[in-house]
Order: sequence, then structure tokens, then C-alpha cells
Amino acid sequence: MTEPALAPRPSLPELFWGMLQVALSSFGGGLSAWSQRIVVEQRRWMTNEQFLTGLTVARLFPGPNQINMAVYIGADFHGLAGALVALAGMLLLPFTLLMALGLAYFQFHTIPVVDRVLAGVVAAAAGMALSMGFKILDQYWNDRVALLLAAAVFVALTWWHVRLIPAVLVAAPLAMAWYWPHRSAPP
Amino acid sequence: MTGLLASAAACEPARLSDLGTLLQVLGEFLSLSLFSLGGGNTLLAEYHHLAVSQFCWLSNAQFADLYALAEAAPGPSSMLVGLLGLGASWREGPFWALITAYGAEAAILVPSTLVMVVACLSWKRLEHSPWRVAFERGLGPITLGILFAVGLKILRTADTNTPGVLVSLVVCGLMLRTRISPLWFMAVAGVLGGLGVINR
Repeated sequence: MTEPALAPRPSLPELFWGMLQVALSSFGGGLSAWSQRIVVEQRRWMTNEQFLTGLTVARLFPGPNQINMAVYIGADFHGLAGALVALAGMLLLPFTLLMALGLAYFQFHTIPVVDRVLAGVVAAAAGMALSMGFKILDQYWNDRVALLLAAAVFVALTWWHVRLIPAVLVAAPLAMAWYWPHRSAPP
Repeated sequence: MTGLLASAAACEPARLSDLGTLLQVLGEFLSLSLFSLGGGNTLLAEYHHLAVSQFCWLSNAQFADLYALAEAAPGPSSMLVGLLGLGASWREGPFWALITAYGAEAAILVPSTLVMVVACLSWKRLEHSPWRVAFERGLGPITLGILFAVGLKILRTADTNTPGVLVSLVVCGLMLRTRISPLWFMAVAGVLGGLGVINR
């Protein structure tokens, strides 16, 4: 299979519309798959390999993954300006929609029927939140130190009421020291 | 439940029209931005602490509602911060609420965006650095611990009756075992709430 040639580098407005298209297409989920389809397959701004590198970087650094991915795509072409433009394209529609929902919420949430329905929705959302930890538990199942670290962080946050930032500032250096890569034998 | 409401009522909502408070709030969100590991959901318990306990903008139930709204709406769930901003200034009217919402979202996104831009531009050097490897491997387990703490915190914040907790547990199981869109779970649970099966 031959890779089709890449399109010329997108301008700032093109970046904005491309990210807007990603945001629009992903109403209903699958944001990461949509951004790959649009950025790599339709618009051919990046090779698949570049895109996957971007995902690695986006997951590694702080910030929401999909937003970091938009930042990566923008920064790759136009530095900081590109990053901000891509970010705006990605967020403009969903954020405006959510704020409209939010205004409606504050206006109407005291109506008993609305409150009753929301109580149900909240129960489902709590289940979604609960599943987040279990979702990544598998990959640490055979690593006792990782489980011990996770348990210590959990206990500190939940029972000792340690705030997140101090907890991470104490735990991260310890964890990084433990997982520091050993020099591999010279070939 | 009444105990929670009483403590929420006793605490005075922080007003953003006071410059000192505004700067303090901004500082909190700007620094949290750099600690949003694992895609940002790790910050949920901190958001709860700030909005409900520290600055008293929202009740427990309101926070749970807004979290559910952010999960149900399309787009990244970190947009919850915008909703918290709405809540913080709702008393001043919808105009200021919206200004605060956009400001809050910017505060939580800009620092991590700047780090991300630097990371992209220097990735070639970073990629094989031992720092990168240790960071990636070391922060995974920490993220795991935080996510469990966050899950429990949200479950407690939801504070529903026994059928509600059962629904939460079933949804958790279905999220792990199936690929059904979570919107269906929310819709069904919303109906159960409307019928009065789930309440808080």
C-alpha cells in the first residue's frame, strides 16, 4: 500500500475549520477516531505515523487528551498561534452548546420534575466516573509496586483528605525514581 | 443528606467581584491545569473541593448535576469547568456567568496548552530521554489511584438512594463490559428518576 501524498500545510483558517469539522462529526462520541479520519484520511495534513506520535504526546502531558491532540496538530503547523486556533475550532461549538445547557440548568433545576430526572441521570454518571479507574486497572495488575503506589495515593486522597497537588508532588518523584529506566546492555 | 445541605448553607459563597478572591480562584485553576494527568478526569475531586467546600458556589447536588450534564453533552468532559464558572457568577446574572465560564475554561486550558506546545516542538529530544520514560511509567499508577478516589468521591456526591447506587454499580459494570453509548444509560436512569425510583 502506498501512502497518498500529503496535502500542503494548512493555513490558520483551514486549521480552524478542520477542527470545527472534527468537533461536529464527533457529536455522539468517538472524537479521537474522527480526528484521525479527518486529519489523516480526508485532509491528509499528517501521515498516520505522525498522528499516532501526536496521540502519544497528547496522552503523556497534562490536559484533556482530545484537546491536547488539537494543540499538537495546530502547533505542528503554526506553533503557538496554530495551537490556539486549533483549540478554538475544537471547543467553540461544544462549549457554546454546553453553556446554553448550563444556563437552562440554573434557570430550571429547581422545578421538581427536572430535579427528579436529574437525580436519575446523576446515578448513571456516577457509575461512569466509577468505571474510570477499573478501565485502566488491567494494565497494572501484574505490577505490585504500581498497585501499592495507586493504593497509597487513593488512601491519601480519600481518607487523609490530602489535596491533589501535594499528593502528586510527593508521589511523582518517588514513582519516577522507581521506574527510572535501567541502562540497557550495550549492543 | 440534610447534614450535607446544612454545611453547604453555612458556608458563604466566594464572590468574584472581589479582586483578591478572583486572583485566588484564577491561581487555583491555573495551577490545577498542570496537574491534569490521565486526560483531565483526575481533577474532578479537586473541582468538587473548590466549587462546593472551599468557594461554596454550588451545593453537592448541583455539582453532581453539572458533572452529569458535562458527561452527557458532546465534547471533552473538562468543559465542566465552564459550568462551574457559570455557577460561581450565576447570582450576578447570566451575562457575568457566561464571562466567568469562558474565563474559567481558559484558566484550566491555557497552562496545559503552553506545556503541550513546548512538548511538541521539542519532542525529538524528549522522546528518548530517561525523564520521559520515568514520567510516563511513574505517573500511570498515580493516575490509577487518583481515578479510584475520584470515582468514589463522585459516587458520594451523587448521594442517591439504594436503587440509585445499584444503578451506578450496574452502569459501571456495563461501561467496562460493553460498548453501549453511555447516553443510553443516562436516558434510562433519567426515566427511573422521573418515575421516582431513583431519588436523593
